[in-house]
Amino acid sequence: MKSLLTPKQSVEKITALQPVLNAAITIVEQPEENTNEGVLANVPVVLKDNVSTKGIRTTASSRILENYVPVYDATIVKKMKEQGAVMVAKASMDELGMGGTNRNALIGPAHNPWNPAHITGGSSGGSAALIAAGTTPLAIGTDTGDSIRKPAAYCGVIGVKPTYGRISRYGIVPYCSSLDTVGYFTTNIQDAAQALEVLAGRDDHDMTSSNLPVEHYLENLNGNLEGKKIAVFKTIVDRIIDPTLAKRFEQLVAQLKEQGAIVTEVEMDTKLLEMIAPVYKTISNAEATANHSNLDGLRFGMREDGASVDEVMTASRTAGFSSYVRARFLIGSYSLFEENQDRMFRKAQKIRRLIVESYAKLFEDADIVLAPAAVDTAPLIDESADLRFGQDRFENEHMQLANFSGYPSLTMPLCLAENGLPLGINITAKPFAEQTLFDAAYGLEQIIDWKEEPACLIK
Amino acid sequence: MSYQVTIGIEIHCELKTKTKMFSAAPTSFGAKANTKTSVIDLAHPGVLPCVNKEAVRLAIKACGGLHCTIDPLVKFDRKNYYYSDLPKGFQITQQFHPIGRDGYVVIKTDEGEKQVRIERIHMEEDTAKQFHKDTGTYIDFNRAGTPLIEIVSRPDMHSAQEAAAYVEALRRTLFYLNVSDVKMEEGSMRCDVNISLSDDPNRLGTKVEIKNLNSIANVQKAVQAEIERQSALLDAGEPIVQSTRRFDEPTKTTVLMRKKEGNVDYKYFPEPNIFPIQLDEQWIESILNHLEELPEQRLERFMTTFGLNEYDASVLVNDRDMADFFEEVMKDAKDAKKAANWVIGDLSAWLNKNNKTFANNPSDAKDIARLVNLIEEGTISGKQAKEVFEEVMNGKKPDDVIKEKGMQQVSDDSTLIAMINEVLDANPQSIEDYKNGKNRAVGFLMGQLMKASKGQANPKKANGLLVEELKKR
Repeated sequence: MKSLLTPKQSVEKITALQPVLNAAITIVEQPEENTNEGVLANVPVVLKDNVSTKGIRTTASSRILENYVPVYDATIVKKMKEQGAVMVAKASMDELGMGGTNRNALIGPAHNPWNPAHITGGSSGGSAALIAAGTTPLAIGTDTGDSIRKPAAYCGVIGVKPTYGRISRYGIVPYCSSLDTVGYFTTNIQDAAQALEVLAGRDDHDMTSSNLPVEHYLENLNGNLEGKKIAVFKTIVDRIIDPTLAKRFEQLVAQLKEQGAIVTEVEMDTKLLEMIAPVYKTISNAEATANHSNLDGLRFGMREDGASVDEVMTASRTAGFSSYVRARFLIGSYSLFEENQDRMFRKAQKIRRLIVESYAKLFEDADIVLAPAAVDTAPLIDESADLRFGQDRFENEHMQLANFSGYPSLTMPLCLAENGLPLGINITAKPFAEQTLFDAAYGLEQIIDWKEEPACLIK
Repeated sequence: MSYQVTIGIEIHCELKTKTKMFSAAPTSFGAKANTKTSVIDLAHPGVLPCVNKEAVRLAIKACGGLHCTIDPLVKFDRKNYYYSDLPKGFQITQQFHPIGRDGYVVIKTDEGEKQVRIERIHMEEDTAKQFHKDTGTYIDFNRAGTPLIEIVSRPDMHSAQEAAAYVEALRRTLFYLNVSDVKMEEGSMRCDVNISLSDDPNRLGTKVEIKNLNSIANVQKAVQAEIERQSALLDAGEPIVQSTRRFDEPTKTTVLMRKKEGNVDYKYFPEPNIFPIQLDEQWIESILNHLEELPEQRLERFMTTFGLNEYDASVLVNDRDMADFFEEVMKDAKDAKKAANWVIGDLSAWLNKNNKTFANNPSDAKDIARLVNLIEEGTISGKQAKEVFEEVMNGKKPDDVIKEKGMQQVSDDSTLIAMINEVLDANPQSIEDYKNGKNRAVGFLMGQLMKASKGQANPKKANGLLVEELKKR
């Protein structure tokens, strides 16, 4: 992987862009020298701030961890360092990964490089913005419910969420363990293929990591689309809002056919799709409320005074989390109460299984399912909000299907809308079929021939 | 009035593993505070649990020894509550799918043998240890994450004696299986007793829990005290309050810790970071096929192989180290009953007196066996043996002691007869008495003989020869 910038230059650029993008929570002003030879030799890398970095503050964008400096590196950090990478910044995110706008961040909202009045999307918004701004060739994110792929679409970059279990989660401040997936942003598919070779693999620290061997994705990369079975996700395509996207998407499907791809259309019951948001929120909030119970102000992070240990915990947690996050904890806790669990948490898990069964059927006769990533461009910061129960629209949440199922899924830019903001497509493959995913993406990359650059780069 | 007493017991046992339940940090008792921890035990952000296979193996052994049905699909759940000794804010346990179910243990009391059923055995992790001082609360995280099994009995016990016998039986079994240190005083085995009294045998009374009993004797005392307390209340027509109590040793009574107001909702749900683990059936089989001999099996063997009576056998078996030592002695000793007497009697007493146990017993089984054989062969007397034993415990060999002290017993016929005749010649009056039917003269003459031989005459042999010589006169 090549970087146009040295780690030092990368730091300078991130620093210079900070007033515009507000995308980094911590900039590593003196990046550690790394003499390791490897595919990431001297490559600057941005990490979402929920990745544990020894000696570098890791806040997960929450006040309760504002002063937390980990004593250990996440497995992926070790792996990248072994390949020569240099960590240059900890990127902004929604607090503890909870959010899809990157507005609820410790340092305030991140701004979209294509137009700072718009959101980056979240929760990996800072990573997406910094990649889009050309500061590094690789930025790490995490994807619990499209948290890499939505911001990738909004920021016009490639966002990869591999299969659940493909990359170790050890050292990632969790959100929802059964959905959390480590992924990343790049600017081209070759880098995306190579990055997975570095990051993937069994980790004995993560019992959910897979034993399947890591493939040579880059070496085997083949963009030939002839005979590729591509299913167009019609239920979502029908809901496209942006007219440019509708037109360009249609054109893309025609181009795929010209390339010899076997294109079909698939649909899903909208009743099930309507359940994505409530199921997602129920499961993620429930797991999150337990996952974050360790943040009690006693052993690390922020501590508020109190007359008793109980008071210290209560005061620290009250002051340490935003009201938005506290509300999610309440909802999560409520759904886990014994009297509620059957009709909330367990029910959500049952519906999750039904949705996954139905989603798997889309792949019965397809290698790839193709859909628009987002049906519209990034909203204005002032007009966006994370929605409450019942207000969601499934066309905005469909990428969470890959989190429910664990399938590998990737977003890449397609075109610019009238308003100058990027629009993207999303492709998904069967579990551990990352090679198929990259191959299709490589073919699509050549068709799409994306050459646009965001506003913040135009002098 | 006497009431129907119903007792159920929950026991937490620390498993004897080198590392913790979900981390590679070492387990240890009594190490400097907060030196045996890791980021995982301290629940630093981003860490994940990794199941300790050895802990699973030990749990399977416990299930085997306690006759439980083993669930080969291992699953863990989260038990959620905030407490400063619980770093993650939840404990990883096995709420929905315990590794073992439906077992039993045989207990013995004055009323005979009986089976106490075991409802479940599950694996979980220990909490940190807290110290409340005037200057604040101190937390030692060394214990956090130590592997535990919790063993839950059915409410099958009905007296203090049965409760104590149950804990004793479990303790012995787990110790024999090398599953746990089962040191109640150090907290590697902890015991909570649930007890209720009722005047209606078909209905359970209000449940009271006695927590943290730190010895088997205290289990019995606490249960007895609680039965008496509740009986008195019921006799007076007063209600029993559902509560948690502790045993106060000085007053030998139970003291209220807290009233229970409804059940705490722990919001259990499956642990998402540990997928269900399908255990290899062959692995389980091989563990069960290689279980150490259980105490009841050993008791049986001691009685049949060595011909010991049940009392001696059970005294030996109750202390595995003592029984092990006895077996070592029996490799050379000829008389099992004598060997058992020495091990249970003099050796135990000596160890007690010197603040030692059979676990750090300084004596060599071969020496004790030799001592037993020397008595059996008549080489030394029982009285001499005691003297030799003291020296053996100071590291000497029995034969050397005998030589040094010139203790060799005189058993040779001609030497004895010569000595006897000397004594007889010196005591004509006694011969006269004997002939007149005063048999106690024999005793007097034996005393003279032992005196003359400086205690070295083999008394059994000498006694026979003395009577023969008397008759010749």
